Amino acid sequence: MDETQAFKVYGKKELQNSSLIVGWSEDAANLGTKVVDYLSKKLGTEEIGEIEPMDFFPLGGVSVENDIAQFPESKFYCSYEKNLVILKSNAPRAEWHRFLNSVLDVAEHYCHVKELYTIGGMVSLSAHTTPRELLAVSNLPGMKNVLGQYHLDRGMDYETPPGQRPTLSSFLLWVAKNRGIPAASLWVPIPFYLVATEDVAACRKVVDFFDKRLSLGIDLRDLDDAAARQNEKLAEIRFSFPEVDSHIKNLESNVALSQEDSEKLAKDIEEYLKRIN
Amino acid sequence: MGIVIYKEPELENPVMVASWPGIGNIGIIAVDTLKNMLGAEELGEIEPWDFFYPKKVLIRNGELKDVEFPTSKFYFKRTGETDLLFFVGEEQPSDGGRTYAEGKKAYQMANLVLDVAQKFGCKRVYTSGAAVAPIHHTARPKVWAVPNTKSLISEVKTYENTMLMSDIEGRGGQGNITGLNGLLLGVARKRGVEAICVMGEIPVYLQGFPLPYPRASKSVLEVLTAALGIEIDLDRIAGFIEQSDSQIEQLYEKFPPEIKEQLDKLKFVSYAQPTEPAPITEEDKKRILEDIDKFFKKEPKED
Repeated sequence: MDETQAFKVYGKKELQNSSLIVGWSEDAANLGTKVVDYLSKKLGTEEIGEIEPMDFFPLGGVSVENDIAQFPESKFYCSYEKNLVILKSNAPRAEWHRFLNSVLDVAEHYCHVKELYTIGGMVSLSAHTTPRELLAVSNLPGMKNVLGQYHLDRGMDYETPPGQRPTLSSFLLWVAKNRGIPAASLWVPIPFYLVATEDVAACRKVVDFFDKRLSLGIDLRDLDDAAARQNEKLAEIRFSFPEVDSHIKNLESNVALSQEDSEKLAKDIEEYLKRIN
Repeated sequence: MGIVIYKEPELENPVMVASWPGIGNIGIIAVDTLKNMLGAEELGEIEPWDFFYPKKVLIRNGELKDVEFPTSKFYFKRTGETDLLFFVGEEQPSDGGRTYAEGKKAYQMANLVLDVAQKFGCKRVYTSGAAVAPIHHTARPKVWAVPNTKSLISEVKTYENTMLMSDIEGRGGQGNITGLNGLLLGVARKRGVEAICVMGEIPVYLQGFPLPYPRASKSVLEVLTAALGIEIDLDRIAGFIEQSDSQIEQLYEKFPPEIKEQLDKLKFVSYAQPTEPAPITEEDKKRILEDIDKFFKKEPKED
C-alpha cells in the first residue's frame, strides 16, 4: 500500500470482467448487509482486501451494539468461480469522495469490473402482503438497457427534497459515472413496520435478481422457507392482536394510517418479532 | 482538490470579504447582500467533492443525471479604488454532523481561499459571523470586531457601533471564533495577511433556533461598507428584517411568561464596559444575566 492509497488488496489473483456488489450497513431492514452476507455464505467467498478506516471513520473509541463492541469495516470478498466481488462496508463518515474512489480503484484496477451494483431498502407505506418490487437507477444509458430484460422498474424520477441528502449509493453511482464504470443502485420498498427488523421477501427479491443476472446458480429454497416463516409470524401477530390486524388491513386497502398508529404498529411488530426470534 | 478560476481580472488594491454560514446566518447574509447589491461577477470556485457530501441527486427516468454539491464561490467587483473579491461558502466542510469546520479540511479550505486572495493581490481579508450576546431582539445589534494583528486595533476602534473583545465586560480581551469565519483569520495571520472578523450580535435566546437574523447582518454591512469606503442602499434589506422581526416576535410570544419577563429586562442591560451610568444597578444586571443563563444554559459565544 503506498502512502496515498487507502486500501489493501491481498487476493491471490486478479479478476477480469467481474461484477461488484456493494452492501452498506445501517440500511433499511439491513437489506444490503443481509443480501451480501447471504451471497457470501452461499458462494463461499474469501476475503481479498479492505479499505483502512483511519481517514474515513471517527476512531475516538468504539460503539457498543447488543453488548458487542463494534468497529467500522470495509471489506472485499470474492468468489473466483463466479467472477464476483462483494464489498460489505459501513458508510464512511468523512472523506466520502476519496472513500468511493478507493472502492472504484479496487474495482477497476484489481477486479476489472464490468459493472457494479448497490443495494438499498426504501421505506414503504404498503403492507408486507404486497409483492416486493425491485427498482433500479442506472448511471449510464448502456447499463439501463442491460437491466431491461430483468423486469425491474427502471423509470424512477427523483430529486432530493430540501433538508435531505442523497444516499451514499447515489454518490457512488455518480463517481462511477465520472470514471465510465457502469453501475446501478437497486432499491426494494420495504414495509415501514419491518424496517427495524428484517424483510426476508425483499432480500429474496434482490438475490433472485443477482442469481439471474450473474448466473450464480443459487438454490433459493432456503430464502423461500425463511420468507414463509416470517409471513407465518406476521400472521400470528395479526391473529393475536386485532388492532395490528386492523392496521395492516387498512394498509392492504391503501388506507393511510395516522402517524401515531403507524408508530404503534411498527413498535408492536418489532417487539413481537424480536421476542419470538 | 483544487480551485477553478474562470476569469483573470486585474484588480486595484483588492480586499477580500469572505463568509460561511453560521448562527443566524448573519455573516453570510451580509456578504451575500453586499455582493449582490454591487453586482459582483463570478470569478471561480473551489471544487467541492473533497470537502462536501452532495446536497442533491437528480434522477430522471431511472437514470442518475447529476449530483449537486454545496458551492464555495469567488466573485469580484471593480469599484475604482479598492476593488473587492468575495468568497461565499454555502456550507462549512465538516467531518459528518458538525456545523462548523475544524481540523484538516477546514485548514485546507482556509488555505485555498487565501491562495485566491493572494493570487489577486489582496492584502486585507474580512470575514463575518455572529456574536451571541445578552441583548434583546429589539435592540440595534452591535458588531464585535477581531483583527489578526495589533496594528489593526486603532483602525477597528474607529468603526462605528463596533466593539473589541476588551470592550466587553468580564472578557479581558479573550474569546473564541468557531469555524472558518475565525480560522481564516489565523491562517491569514500565518501568511502575514491582515484580517478582521466582524460579528453581528444575536440575542442569546435566539442562537438555538434555525432563523436568519438580518438585523445583525445590517449592522455588519454598516461596518463593512464604511470600512471599504463604499455605499449601498441598506434600506433594500429592510423588508427582510421586517419579516424576520415578525417571525421572532411570534416565537417570543410563545415563550413562557416568566422567561419573557426575564428576557424583557435585557432591554435595559448593557454588558459593554460602562461609559455612562446604566439604567439599572450592577447587582440587578448580574442577577438578570444569571437568570437568563439558567434558562438557556449557554455562555455568550461567537461563531
